[in-house]
Amino acid sequence: MAKISNSFVPKDTIIEELNPMTKILAVFSLGLGTLIFPNSWLGLIIIIGLFFVAYLAKTLKDFTKIMFGFGIPITVMLMFIQGCYSPKNVTIIAEFGFLQVGLEGVLYAFKIISTLLVFLGTFYIMNKTTYTGKLVAALTNSGLPPKAGYLVLASLNVVPQMQRRMEVIQEAQGARGVEIGGGIIARIKAYIPLLGPVVMSALTDAQERGMTLETRGFGITGVKQTSYVEVTQSNLDRILKAILILFFIIVVILTVLMKLNII
Amino acid sequence: MGKVVLEVKDFSFRYRQTKQKAIKNISFQVEEGSFFCIIGANGSGKSTLCNALVGLIPHYFVGKMSGEVFVNGMKVEDSTIADLSAKIGLVFQNPFNQLSYTAGTVAEELAYGLGNRGVSHEEMVKKVEYVAKLMRIDHVIHKNPLELSGGQIQRVALGSTFIMEPRVLVLDECTTQLDPLGSEEIFDIVKSLNQKGITVIMVDHEMERVARCADKIMVLDGGEIVAIDIPERIFETPDIVKHRIGVPDYVKICQSLREKGYTKREIEIAEEPTIELVKEALKG
Amino acid sequence: MTQKKKKMTFMEGLKAQFSTKSLVLIPIAVGINLIGGTLCSTLKLPLFLDMIGTIVIACLSGPWVAALCGLLTNIFLALVANPVYLPYSVVSILCGLVTGYMVKAGLFKKVWGAILTWLACTLTNVASASTITILVYGGATGTTGSSVLTATLIAATKDIVTSVLSSSMIENLIDKGIAFFIAFIIVKKIPKRFLSQYAVDAEDEEDDD
Repeated sequence: MAKISNSFVPKDTIIEELNPMTKILAVFSLGLGTLIFPNSWLGLIIIIGLFFVAYLAKTLKDFTKIMFGFGIPITVMLMFIQGCYSPKNVTIIAEFGFLQVGLEGVLYAFKIISTLLVFLGTFYIMNKTTYTGKLVAALTNSGLPPKAGYLVLASLNVVPQMQRRMEVIQEAQGARGVEIGGGIIARIKAYIPLLGPVVMSALTDAQERGMTLETRGFGITGVKQTSYVEVTQSNLDRILKAILILFFIIVVILTVLMKLNII
Repeated sequence: MGKVVLEVKDFSFRYRQTKQKAIKNISFQVEEGSFFCIIGANGSGKSTLCNALVGLIPHYFVGKMSGEVFVNGMKVEDSTIADLSAKIGLVFQNPFNQLSYTAGTVAEELAYGLGNRGVSHEEMVKKVEYVAKLMRIDHVIHKNPLELSGGQIQRVALGSTFIMEPRVLVLDECTTQLDPLGSEEIFDIVKSLNQKGITVIMVDHEMERVARCADKIMVLDGGEIVAIDIPERIFETPDIVKHRIGVPDYVKICQSLREKGYTKREIEIAEEPTIELVKEALKG
Repeated sequence: MTQKKKKMTFMEGLKAQFSTKSLVLIPIAVGINLIGGTLCSTLKLPLFLDMIGTIVIACLSGPWVAALCGLLTNIFLALVANPVYLPYSVVSILCGLVTGYMVKAGLFKKVWGAILTWLACTLTNVASASTITILVYGGATGTTGSSVLTATLIAATKDIVTSVLSSSMIENLIDKGIAFFIAFIIVKKIPKRFLSQYAVDAEDEEDDD
């Protein structure tokens, strides 16, 4: 796993300015819309649209990387698993020696892939263009318990700090000549002296951090929490929210009509 | 005698599943606006006492407690830690454990406690600006607190405590983990707050500093009070070192000059008078 | 009064579990889960070991806190690494609950109990992870090494369900075994004075003075 840290970088884009709730609504409206829609064309159109949104958000390069990085291996894998071995396969569209590729499996695979890519893409854009503090403030305003907000933010801040401490210990152990290479058993044995100190100090730190929170009014109940980070709602937000809700309703209606064979 | 802002009556505490009481039957009072220092060796019960003053005992730490603590007439046992934060604030040793870990910037960190109280955004911004200036961190207000130096983080912690508007500040070795420069800066701020009328209760190992600033010193040993007095009288008692505490270097100089017969003057606890004394002794 | 002390209702117990003291442990346990995983790749171990924190917190603060810790670990991974991890939060939640309740039943104190907890947790993990992989990802996520193994097994057995199950079963038994072993050692090393501050049932104030 690569180095983990909260990676929001302000880029001054329209997407960034949006209210976080608008973006969350987009994840669900577009994602669920694709999920219930009977075929994968809707998903495909949305995915193309998402590349445009990623361009607007100035994150096209990374977005492309993550979409293809996830999309290609899963397509190969699912074409193999579902295409060749799905129990639903009736219509055989291709044959390679002992392998038979079924149409139903392939369509099912495409459906899964497009839905996943819509969820992945919307979530990725939402995440990369939103300052987590703002996201949590918006969620808290919409009724998320402040303690849940604390947990998300604290995890994002605490983990990188623990990782740095781990690196320091690793370097110190290395400098003292503690063997990190060797056979698999030796490496498992090296694991505990590396992890142990971090865990122990983290536990005692937790107790003091709890003291800090308590003295900062963490235990107050019945008061609506406020935040230093301002969350604003523009007209664009209102319009987009309306469009997203409308989109989902239309998709539901179309799906019902298609299932009933009316269209 | 000024108004009593803090009163401890027959207070004892034993942490759960420990045999020894951390604090044994102590009683004392602190006057409003004073600079009250607590000294004592490790394990003498200083931190436990600090936690009791701000309500972490009995509301956070579990154990067996008896006696009473009053802050501004408010009984600690019957209030919440959050309510007490508007009367009394605590800053302790490790700067990194005094961050909320919810903030991406120093400003957000300072505002965190106010947010929990539901303070409006405008008021928040105003108070953050004021406190940041007071703590001399206004130049780093948009930085991530975790990227600051230990001394700066400790000032953020002091600010986050002070923004809750307590009238009493409890400082539990809050400069021990800092370098001398960072330590002095915190101390300067604390002194200026004291001059503004804030009562300071400080636990510290730097005896020169304690002697210089304290209106009164309380010596703890084994969870009990061995002495409460003005600095001069605390440090001139030769027996005081038996309680495993140090004395300021000035006191040591004066003492040895007296013992060797170079001077007959009273013992000094500060820099300037000690220099005078040494000069005189050299002449004589 | 004595009766009230003995048995807390489910809601009371839940509330007691989520004290500030327990809540601040959660981000740290999430951290332990994640650096546990990172350390594996640094040491080039073919393992995940990404639930040590969940097990430790299950011992300190109870099943629901452990479940929340599992959920947050996945939310964290989804936010900073890859959203693919999000559906698997169900797995982490279930594992946290199973471990937590078995610890609560006192099983972690004995070696055979710890082994039982390990097996139960592995089974929960495999069953729920496979369900997610099949339902959400149609059989493979393409992000783990086991996907390749799955594909090979499918070719051999021609049965999606069993092959998904068996590849993750082998992987999981070893991985969870080591994770439980390490967590067991860590919990044993935590000072008693520290642990006692976390005990939920706070009635053991024996008077000795």
